Amino acid sequence: MAKQYDVLFRLLLLGDSGVGKTCLLCRFTDNEFHPSHISTIGVDFKMKTLEIDGIKVRIQIWDTAGQERYQTITKQYYRRAQGIFLVYDITSERSFQHIMKWASDVDEYAPEKVQKILVGNKSDEQEKRQVATEQGDKLAKAYGMDFFETSAFTNHNITESFTRLAELVLQANKKDLDLLGGSLNDELNLADLEEQEGLCNVSDDTRKSCWC
Amino acid sequence: MDQSVAIQETLAEGESCTIAVECVSLLNDVRDSKLIGLVRQNKEHALFIYSHRRMAITGEDVTLGQIIPISYDFSVVEVSSPDELAVVGADTRVRVTFLEEELELKLPFGSHTRLFLSEVNRAWSDVCQQYPKEEPKFDWLTKYRKVSKGARSLRKSIGATTVKMSQMKKAERAHTANSSALKKEDESARGDALQSQEKVKGEVKDDLIRNSQPVLSNKAQMLGMPQFGLRDNLIKCELLKNEDAYTYIENYSFFLGTYNVNGQTPKESLSPWLASTASPPDFYLIGFQELDLSKEAFLFNDTPKEPEWMLAVYKGLHPDAKYALVKLVRLVGIMLLFYVKAEHAPHISEVEAETVGTGVMGRMGNKGAVSIRFQFHNSDICVVNSHLAAHTEEFERRNQDFKDICRRIQFRQEDPTLPPLTILKHNIVLWLGDLNYRISDLEVDHVKDLISKKDFETLHTYDQLKRQMDEEVVFVGFTEGEIDFQPTYKYDTGSDQWDTSEKCRVPAWCDRILWRGKSIKQLHYQSHMTLKTSDHKPVSSLLEIGIKVVNEESYKRTFEEIVRQIDRLENDCIPSVSLSEREFHFQDVKFMQHQARTVTVHNDGQVPCQFEFIQKLDEPAYCKPWLTANPAKGFLAQGASVDIDLEVFVNRHTAPELNAGLQQLEDILVLHLERGKDYFISITGSYLPSCFGSSLSALCLLREPIQDMPLESIRELSVKSNSPVIDSADKPQEIPKEIWMMVDHLFRYAKKQEDLFQQPGLRSEFEEIRDCLDTGCLDTLPGSNHSVAEALLLFLDALPEPVIPFSFYQQCLDCCSDSSHCRQIISMLPQCHKNVFNYLTAFLQELLRHSAYNRLDVNVVAPIFAGLLLRSPDKQDINEKRKVKEFFQHFLVQTSSDRDIHEKSPE
Repeated sequence: MAKQYDVLFRLLLLGDSGVGKTCLLCRFTDNEFHPSHISTIGVDFKMKTLEIDGIKVRIQIWDTAGQERYQTITKQYYRRAQGIFLVYDITSERSFQHIMKWASDVDEYAPEKVQKILVGNKSDEQEKRQVATEQGDKLAKAYGMDFFETSAFTNHNITESFTRLAELVLQANKKDLDLLGGSLNDELNLADLEEQEGLCNVSDDTRKSCWC
Repeated sequence: MDQSVAIQETLAEGESCTIAVECVSLLNDVRDSKLIGLVRQNKEHALFIYSHRRMAITGEDVTLGQIIPISYDFSVVEVSSPDELAVVGADTRVRVTFLEEELELKLPFGSHTRLFLSEVNRAWSDVCQQYPKEEPKFDWLTKYRKVSKGARSLRKSIGATTVKMSQMKKAERAHTANSSALKKEDESARGDALQSQEKVKGEVKDDLIRNSQPVLSNKAQMLGMPQFGLRDNLIKCELLKNEDAYTYIENYSFFLGTYNVNGQTPKESLSPWLASTASPPDFYLIGFQELDLSKEAFLFNDTPKEPEWMLAVYKGLHPDAKYALVKLVRLVGIMLLFYVKAEHAPHISEVEAETVGTGVMGRMGNKGAVSIRFQFHNSDICVVNSHLAAHTEEFERRNQDFKDICRRIQFRQEDPTLPPLTILKHNIVLWLGDLNYRISDLEVDHVKDLISKKDFETLHTYDQLKRQMDEEVVFVGFTEGEIDFQPTYKYDTGSDQWDTSEKCRVPAWCDRILWRGKSIKQLHYQSHMTLKTSDHKPVSSLLEIGIKVVNEESYKRTFEEIVRQIDRLENDCIPSVSLSEREFHFQDVKFMQHQARTVTVHNDGQVPCQFEFIQKLDEPAYCKPWLTANPAKGFLAQGASVDIDLEVFVNRHTAPELNAGLQQLEDILVLHLERGKDYFISITGSYLPSCFGSSLSALCLLREPIQDMPLESIRELSVKSNSPVIDSADKPQEIPKEIWMMVDHLFRYAKKQEDLFQQPGLRSEFEEIRDCLDTGCLDTLPGSNHSVAEALLLFLDALPEPVIPFSFYQQCLDCCSDSSHCRQIISMLPQCHKNVFNYLTAFLQELLRHSAYNRLDVNVVAPIFAGLLLRSPDKQDINEKRKVKEFFQHFLVQTSSDRDIHEKSPE
C-alpha cells in the first residue's frame, strides 16, 4: 500500500452535565451503552482509529466534566483541541440554552482553527423532547456548524457525527499535511505541529506537567 | 543469529552481553547503522554502541563507539508514544537520555526489540529501586575509556557526579547557615548569661515556628515506567496471524530453467527449452552456469556473453505472451534472469538480488550462487541459481557450498533498520543450477546400461544428491520432482553422444531444480536433448505455485477489526484509578488550627500509574496556600492504594484575605495520571473569622467579638476602615479590644512572670485564647502567662499591615539612630497604629520596671517586638534587623512625654 499520512487529532466533548457526553464516547469507542452513569468528575480520554479518504486518523477523544463548578478548569483543555463537540440533551431545554455559553467559551479559549459540530443527544426519547430538531438545526446554521441528533442508546448517528468532525478537522489541516508531507515522509502528529506554531497560550516548557 | 556473540568477544572477563540489537542512530538527519548491546557486570549495566560490518559474527566485525551507563539519570523513552499515530509495522523509535546527552535510535520491528527494551528497562528499574541509598559506580567501564569515543561521555558523567556532590554540600552548608542565623538571633535576644538554656528553648521555638509553616514532603519513590509502543507490532502480528482471513490462493505458473553452457556462445534457438510449455508461463526464472570461462570474466566479472545469452533467452520465450525483464544478476559465469508476464509486473515489489562466491579460497566466483528475491502479491519468493563444487568425490564440499550460500546470501530490506533477510526466511524458495552431484558406486558401463533401459528409478538410487538429501545433510526441507529424463552431463559438445574423451566421465544428473514451500505442484520436470550447444543439457521445471493474493475488501475488514481490538486494548491500558471521595468539606476552619482528611487512591486500572497533583492554569501551585496534599505525587502498582492526606491550615499569610472576605476556602485539585485521566477533587471549607489576621483599623471598628458579627458587617468594616472619612456614629476605639485584653491580662498577672516572652506557650492554650478573643465567651483569658504572651506575639505577627505600616519601613531604618526623628515618624502614623504602638511601648516600659522578677531587659525585649512591629515587606537582612532593633530601643527608654501616657494606662 502507498504511504499515507498518519495523524493524531484531539476532539473534545463539551456540554452540560448529564447530556450524555460519556455515553456518546462509550458508544463510539466500545460500542457499549451504560444506562445509569456516574457524572464525570475530571477529564477522561479514549483512543479511536479511523480511515478518512485513505488517511489513517487516530483521534484522542477527551470527555470533560460538565458541571458548572469545574468549567474554569476544563477550559484549559480547549486550547489543545482540534475539534469540539457541543452537546446538548433534546429533553432538556436548559442544556440547549447553555450551548450559547459553551460556544462563547470555545471562541475565547480554543484555537482559532478549531472545528465544531452541534450534537443533540437522546434522540430516542421523543416523548420527552423539549428541543425541536428545527431549533437545533437553526442554531447550528447560525454558528456555521454541522448538526446531528444522536442517540447513544440506539447508536443513532454516532459514527456519523464523530467521523464528520474528524473529516472537518482533517480538511482544516489538509494544507499543513500536504506541506509537511512534501518534506517529511514520516508520521505526523498534528497536535504537536500546532504547539510548535504557537497556538498554545502556555508553552509546555514552563509547566511541570502536561495536561495530556 | 543473535549478534551478542560478536559483542561478547570484545568484553573483558566477568562481563556479559545480555542481548544485542541492530538499530539506526538518528543524528542531525544522518542515519548510521549501529549495533547496541546491553552489557552487564555484576549488578551494573551499560549500553555499548558499536559500528559494525554488515553482519556481525566475530569481535573483529564490531568497533566500540559509545558507552552509556544505566544509572539513575539514564532514561529510554518512546519518541512516538502509543497515543500518537504510527504506521503499521513501523519501527520503535526511542530516545536514550543520559545526563545532558541525548541519542535517538530506531529499533527494528519485532519481538527481539521488545525483549531488548524490556531488559534495558528492567536494568534501569533496578537502579531506581536502589536509589538513593545505593548508586552504581561503573568502575569496570574505565578500561574502555581509552579506546571508546564515549570517553567524553564518561568524563561528563564523572563531572556531573562531582557537581551533584558539591551541590549536596552547598545545600548542607546553606542549611547550616540558616540554623546558625536562627541561633544567633535567639542568642542575641537572650543575652550571654542564659546561653545554654536559650539553646534548648530556641530549639523548641524552632519547632513551633516549623509547625506554623506546613512543609511539603514527598518521600514516595518516583518509579517512572518508560512505555514502549506495542501498537505497530500488535497490528503486524495480528495481520500475519489472520492472513488466511483476507488472502486467498491463486495459482501461477513458474518456468524454472537451468543450463550450464560451458562457455559457449548461443548457436541455436532456445525455444525448444523455454517455449516447451503448452501455454505461456506467468514467470520465467532462467539460470546459466559457466557462461564465460575466460580469465577476464573471472577477474573482472565482465563478459560479452551476458547480452548474447540474454538476447537468446528473450527470443526463446513463449511467443503467446508479452514478457518484462524484472531483474538480471550475474557473478562471473553464474547468471539468473527473471522475466514476468507484463500484466503481473504491478504486483511485484521488493525486488533484491545478491551473489556469493564459494569457489577458489571459498570466496571466488567461479563457483557460488546468484539469487533474486521478490514479493508477489502477499508471498515472498526467493530464487537461487547455484554452481556447486565439481568432481565426483567432492559431494561433501558441495554440501558445504550449499550451507555457505544459505548463510551468506542476505538480502537488504527496504527498511534499513530491519536485519537482512536470508534465503530460508522466504515463503517460497526455488533452487536451480548445476549442483554437480554425481552418480557414484556404479561403473560407467552399468550406468549407461541402466540409461539405455530407461531405468532411471534404479539409477537415481545411486545419485549423490538423493542420498545426501535422504540423510538430511543438504537441501533439508526441499522437494525435487521425480526424474524421468536421462542424466544431463557429460556430452560431446554439439551432439547427444556421451563423453568420448579419454576421461569417459560417468553420466550424471548435475543439473537440478528443487523447491521449498507450500502450495507448489510440479507440472513437468525434463531435460531438453535437442539443444546441443554445450556438454550439459538444459533442464526445465514447470511449477504451479499457489500465491497468497490479498482480497482488498477482506483485508480492509480484517485490518479494521484488528485496529478496533488494539484501540480497545489501548484504552484498557490507559491508567485509571478510583478515589474514595471526590468532595471534601472542612467545617469551622480556624486560624492556626490544622484540619485533615484522607482520600484513598486505588489503582483499579490494568497498568501501573504515576500520579501527581498538577497546577491549574494561571496558578502558582497545584493548590491554594492554605491547602496541602501529601504525598502530592507518587507511583501506584496495579491493584495498589495510597492514602493522600488533605490538610487545611490557615496561617498569617492566608488569614487576612479570608477574614476580609476576599478569599474563600474553595479549591479544586487536579489529580493527573501520567498518560492517563485527570480527576477533580473539590475542596470547600467554612472559615471562622479571627482577630488574628485582621487589620488594626478594622478591629478598632468592631464593638463585638468578630465571630459574633455577620460576615457582611465584617466585610463592610474592612472596606470602611480603608476610607479616611469615618462617621461619628462609628467612632473607632482607640485600640483593638483584643490587644487590650491580652495586654491587660499580662499587666495584671504577668508583670513578674519569669522569662516572659521567652518561653513558648502551649498550642492548645493558644487555641483557647484565640477562641476567647474571637467569641468573647469568657471574661478572663484562659491559659498560662506564656500562652497569652505568645498569643500577643502571634497577633502582631499576623497583622496584614504591621503596627508600623510597610510604607514607613524605610524611613524608620534611615533615621534609626536619631531618637527625636524616630518619635516624629511615630507621630505621623495612622491614628490606631500610633495608639497601639504607644500602648505597647508603655506596657513594655512597665514590664522593664520589674526586671528583677521577669528578667527582661532592653536587649531581650527590643529584638522580639521590633521584628513584629516594624516588619519589612521583603526579606530582612542582618543589617536591617540591627537597624530595626536600634529604632525600637529608643521607645523602651522612658522619657517625660511617655510618663503621661503611662499614667493613662488602664489599671
